[in-house]
Amino acid sequence: MSFLEVAHVSKSYSGAIALKDAHLDIAPGEVHALMGENGAGKSTIIKILAGVTAADNMAATIDGKPVTITDAQESYRHGLRFIHQELNIVPHLSVAENIMLGLPYPRRYGALVDWRELNALARAALDKLQVSHIDTRVKAARLSTGDQMLMKIAATLISAGDSPARLYVMDEPTAALTGAESRKLFQVIDELKQSGASILYVSHRMNEVMEICDRVTVFRDGQTIATRNLSDTDKNEVIHLMTGRDVKDSYPPRRATKGEDVLLDAKALRTRQVRDVGFQVNRGEILGIAGLADAGQSAVLLALLGVDRVQAGHVTIHGSPIAAQNPSAAWRNHVAYIPRERRREGLMLQRRIVDNINLPHLQKLSFAAGFLSRRRERRFADALGKKVRLKSGGMNQACYQLSGGNQQKVVFARALGDAPELLLLDEPTRGVDVGAKFDIYTLIRERSAEGAAVVMTSSDLPELIGMCDRILIMREGAQHSIIETDGLSPADLLAKFYD
Amino acid sequence: MISLFKRYGTLVGFIAIVAFFWFNLPDTFMTARNWLNISQQISMLAVVAFTMTFVMVMGDFDLSVGSMASLSGITAALLFSQGYPVAAGVAAALAMGILGGFFNGFLVSILGILPFVATLGTLTMFSGLAFWLSDGKTIFGRDIPKTFSGFARGGVDIELAGTLALKIPYLSILALLVLAAVWLVLEQTSFGRRLYAIGGNYEAARLAGVKVRRLRMAAFALTGFGAAIGGLMYASRVASANPTQGSGLMLDAIAAVFLGMTMSEEGEPRVLATLVGVLILGVLDNGLTQMSVDSYIREILVGAIILTAVASSSVGKFRR
Repeated sequence: MSFLEVAHVSKSYSGAIALKDAHLDIAPGEVHALMGENGAGKSTIIKILAGVTAADNMAATIDGKPVTITDAQESYRHGLRFIHQELNIVPHLSVAENIMLGLPYPRRYGALVDWRELNALARAALDKLQVSHIDTRVKAARLSTGDQMLMKIAATLISAGDSPARLYVMDEPTAALTGAESRKLFQVIDELKQSGASILYVSHRMNEVMEICDRVTVFRDGQTIATRNLSDTDKNEVIHLMTGRDVKDSYPPRRATKGEDVLLDAKALRTRQVRDVGFQVNRGEILGIAGLADAGQSAVLLALLGVDRVQAGHVTIHGSPIAAQNPSAAWRNHVAYIPRERRREGLMLQRRIVDNINLPHLQKLSFAAGFLSRRRERRFADALGKKVRLKSGGMNQACYQLSGGNQQKVVFARALGDAPELLLLDEPTRGVDVGAKFDIYTLIRERSAEGAAVVMTSSDLPELIGMCDRILIMREGAQHSIIETDGLSPADLLAKFYD
Repeated sequence: MISLFKRYGTLVGFIAIVAFFWFNLPDTFMTARNWLNISQQISMLAVVAFTMTFVMVMGDFDLSVGSMASLSGITAALLFSQGYPVAAGVAAALAMGILGGFFNGFLVSILGILPFVATLGTLTMFSGLAFWLSDGKTIFGRDIPKTFSGFARGGVDIELAGTLALKIPYLSILALLVLAAVWLVLEQTSFGRRLYAIGGNYEAARLAGVKVRRLRMAAFALTGFGAAIGGLMYASRVASANPTQGSGLMLDAIAAVFLGMTMSEEGEPRVLATLVGVLILGVLDNGLTQMSVDSYIREILVGAIILTAVASSSVGKFRR
């Protein structure tokens, strides 16, 4: 019998479907992998299990008895423990305090903290994991990421009251670990498993999953596609299950062949976040950048925009090196950028559409001495709004009132305002509905046919294949290869992400 | 209806305050003379608050304006006492304001110190500098030239029906000119639009090519410049300069901008709304003084009114 079973899990965020009748069952004492592309719904189901997000619909049972998970406390009482990608540690408290965080500290005389006892409890928890090299009295900030992970796991071993840990949910636990640290983690996972607990292991790393997991469940587009015993399947089948869909013919066709002259030439780029990146993009060409989450795709764009300082290598745009390294110089140089986080990095949500569109173009909309011409402003924004087929209640509407798709069109209108020669697009269709997606693809194609070079990232693999001429593969901050998209399948592309 | 009240609540409150004093002081309050008097009383605060709007538009603020005002008065008076002409003293004081403002901007924008901490530090520095330069003494009497102190006493005479003569004080006219200038810059130029963009979303503005650091420096410099003007006006009005005379301006200026912010839908500072904020503070001060309300009680009332205005507008925000 399963330890935990959840079925008919549905969740949508203001119209966008994250989970659609998904199900997942976990046996006692097993390591169960959860896999899927970015946006497949893995994070959403984890949040639902943690009681952080409420499902629209869900039937959950534990040991066969129906249960509810309405908040984090209830999830805790069911024995569910979460170890997140971004560790929630308090860096300037000691290891012992981090382990005991949220639990009542042992007391002396009813009021003072019994530090000796506190350290002893934390020590005992670490000992259970057979971790002896961590001093419980040092500040958590001093530990390596791997040791911080072990610390968080130790914290889950000390349970308040009578709700022992029964399922550990680990979300990309090895993302920040070294090889040796990962090995240590796998040992700990094995010990937890021996003690009868289950582990839900979320990871993109196929080899790890093949090595340590017993079963795998694959999510795609918010649905459960299959659950397999790992002994009965292989890497290729899992990848096929993850990408499965055919490339829909929903991309506007390439209009013109790419130009002959090189517009953008990057050689041996290194920044804080990426290294060994070198490529050329011709006029009329669209280059995709792909990889696993945070492999450095966005950071390549930030280097080209002048946000991240180029430490080594150099970039030329139509043969002339970029002089000043800042976004302001880039926009003046006809480089336009669409940021990944529309709400945080793209829009002034409280301000009017016209202000958002015109922001980088105020100079040319002004008379002498910087006095703005309202008429020019209005005309400029109107024309761009029409071009991107913006649906709004007028140019004076505040941006927070628009749908995600229309907000993205505002950002596009801004980027297309000054006939950009180089378009840098970071996840240009993220959180955008299907109709607006097609409009955006069309805009990219149009600008490309007019001779601009386009560099775009996307975690939507069919989108990359449908839109791009070539795709640059990033792996852990370094360029791995550049491949042509002709005849490429999403599964082929995904396989390139893994070592 | 609720949103209408939210938006105009502060304005309605202002009108209610005016009506209250009109009713209680039927003979003296609602007269042209009293209003001209109010306009002169608030002119220094007005100039500082109008220029404070520059930094508050970006979501920053400047605590050092009060001590900058004192420092500017001291700078001018000191030069006067050494025999320099009025123009030189005024120019040096204004330069001091711009420099101090740039220094604030440098701390906030280049070094990345929080505006609260940075301007708290410069508040102390400017104040210390004013004490040091003046040796802690008030500079007054023969040291202050008549042409300088005469400015605050002068005005434009207007005749109504040939007989009734009123004088519009130069200080009030100067405050109006500053208001017009700030309004033009904030509302009509690309510079102002970019400041609002920085306040709307700093990161988005930066990624859209706005030179956020430079603009932030410039805005702080303008606020410092305004503080220096306010300090000169004050020194002219009292025909003396002492190292603490501007210190009351800072809290009132920030309060005026906050009062104004309650009037905009998005909670953004607008300079015309700041004017309403300044008027509320000025009218309260004038009316309560005339009703001989104790000055300590006056402070309690003014604080309570500011909190009421700000609280009522943020309650509305939570509901949305």
